[in-house]
Amino acid sequence: MATALNVPPTAPVTTPQQMKKEEEKVDYLNLPCPIPYEEIHREALMSLKPELFEGMRFDFNKGLSPKFSLSHSVFMGPMEIPSQSSETIKIPTAHYEFGANFIDPKLMLFGRILTDGRLNARLKCDLTENLTLKANAQLSSEPHMSHGMATFDYKGKDYRSQFQLGNGALFGANYIQSVTPHLSFGGEVFWAGQHRKSGIGYAARYNTEKMVATGQVASTGLVALSYVQKVSEKVSLASDFMYNYMSRDVTASFGYDYILRQCRLRGKIDSNGVAAAFLEERLNMGLNFILSAELDHSKKDYKFGFGLTVGE
Amino acid sequence: MEGVVPPGTSTQSEVPKPTKEERVDYMNLPCPIPYEEIHRESFMSLKPELFEGMRFDFTKLLNPNFALSHSVYMGPTAIPSQSSETIKIPTAQYEFGANFIDPKLMLVGRVLTDGRLTTRVKCDLTDRLSIKVNAQLTNEPHMSHGIVNIDYKGKDYRTQFQLGNGALFGANYIQSVTPHLSLGGEVFWAGQHRKSGVGYAARYETDKMVAAGQVATTGMVALSYVQKVSEKVSLASDLIYNYMSRDVTASAGYDYILRQCRLRGKIDSNGCASAFLEERLNMGFKFILSAEIDHIRKDYKFGFGITVGE
Repeated sequence: MATALNVPPTAPVTTPQQMKKEEEKVDYLNLPCPIPYEEIHREALMSLKPELFEGMRFDFNKGLSPKFSLSHSVFMGPMEIPSQSSETIKIPTAHYEFGANFIDPKLMLFGRILTDGRLNARLKCDLTENLTLKANAQLSSEPHMSHGMATFDYKGKDYRSQFQLGNGALFGANYIQSVTPHLSFGGEVFWAGQHRKSGIGYAARYNTEKMVATGQVASTGLVALSYVQKVSEKVSLASDFMYNYMSRDVTASFGYDYILRQCRLRGKIDSNGVAAAFLEERLNMGLNFILSAELDHSKKDYKFGFGLTVGE
Repeated sequence: MEGVVPPGTSTQSEVPKPTKEERVDYMNLPCPIPYEEIHRESFMSLKPELFEGMRFDFTKLLNPNFALSHSVYMGPTAIPSQSSETIKIPTAQYEFGANFIDPKLMLVGRVLTDGRLTTRVKCDLTDRLSIKVNAQLTNEPHMSHGIVNIDYKGKDYRTQFQLGNGALFGANYIQSVTPHLSLGGEVFWAGQHRKSGVGYAARYETDKMVAAGQVATTGMVALSYVQKVSEKVSLASDLIYNYMSRDVTASAGYDYILRQCRLRGKIDSNGCASAFLEERLNMGFKFILSAEIDHIRKDYKFGFGITVGE
């Protein structure tokens, strides 16, 4: 008979130093689920690549029910056309885009159609809690310009994996795993039958509460590094470096992102001599005013636009 | 010696006031608007400075009389093309200007990055006589021109003589005939183009409306009407007809002058709708939005800008 030791329960002797050590000890069985592979550069992309435009844009979103909404979008302005000389030539164009969105916790459907005959459709369906199907299609009236892609995502405890199938015999797979609470590594392979190309890529992402650093290499020649630092609640700075070792093309950009109560201002400067800024100001509930500016000093191309977004 | 008339005795002039106001005093007519400003109200309402791209103006007062101005413009500019399509290329220009404004003398100068220089001089030689000089110089040959105007302002009339380069002579005369109506005429002779012409103008204005008409032997007929609907709102319309080239344009527009902003909108018979908004964000800080949609030629021009300084 094991005699219970009638030892009065002693409180675990944990000095503050020991408690800190316990917090530092990483629980490798309870790592967080990582960001999806294609969203590795998400923060840098949101800060450094706003939707710059030239001319005037007017968007109107109308919610018909809590799940279903329609959107009307009008754009008018000069668009660049390819020209033989090195000069930039623009002609004024106008188009209207009609869209419908259905958003459910398990199913999301998204469709857009433009006046030039292009149709965009997106579908996202949670088949089970861990398995998601995404489909993406772009149809146009020009022959051989339509394409579609289906993606199966499996979300594990601390990893994610994805299989992609596209038209033109496009196959891809990627996998990303958390190795520490802050660091995740991933890799991808793809095979494009139509262009007879295949490739392998690796990615790494380190993020804390204050910063995110990511890197990505692929055998197509792409090297992409990005770093985002959250300086305060309202301000974050981002920088980005892209290098293609096949074509020896390199671009570095640096930008800021001010998220204030009434507005969001993003500014960026590039190593190609491009300075851009994008301002979204909330004039009223559901009324957003947008200003977009892009100055390309080396190509002497200036793009300025303003717009209004009505609705949520 | 009689005493002075005690105060309080009414004289005959106090009797029926309405009839007295209706009787027009032809000896005391107001001085009319200068001949070239006949269409001034409709011009200010219907023809704002529309632009495309971005504009930034900065005016700095060095002195109560002297100011410098810097103006940057960047955006697509239409270039003449062989096809009917509108082709635009992005351009940028900077304009530096200096203004000296005195009650008797006004000097304005502007120079652009493409080498064009614009100057204006306005000098009041006496109370009634003023001289105006206007010159535009460029480095392209035969594209520079200058014009000198000598204005004489009489009691209820104005006359003007013009001399310009290229043997341009002109004279015009405008006279008030009633407190609301003024009539005028002009003659001009352009030696270089061997053209001469005669024109007539009439303008009727009250507190609430202005109607103006102008005819010239060059074939131009211009009529305009502006109605001041309220303190803040006025409506304007305009008709320009050339009986030589059979070209006619009618436009109608509105002009809202509110406390913080000024909004002008216009629609044309050429299928052109435009709007121009100037909003005062802060003291000395103005934000401008300009939009012009030409449905016939499918040309869309949108621009925004900021004006800093007075």
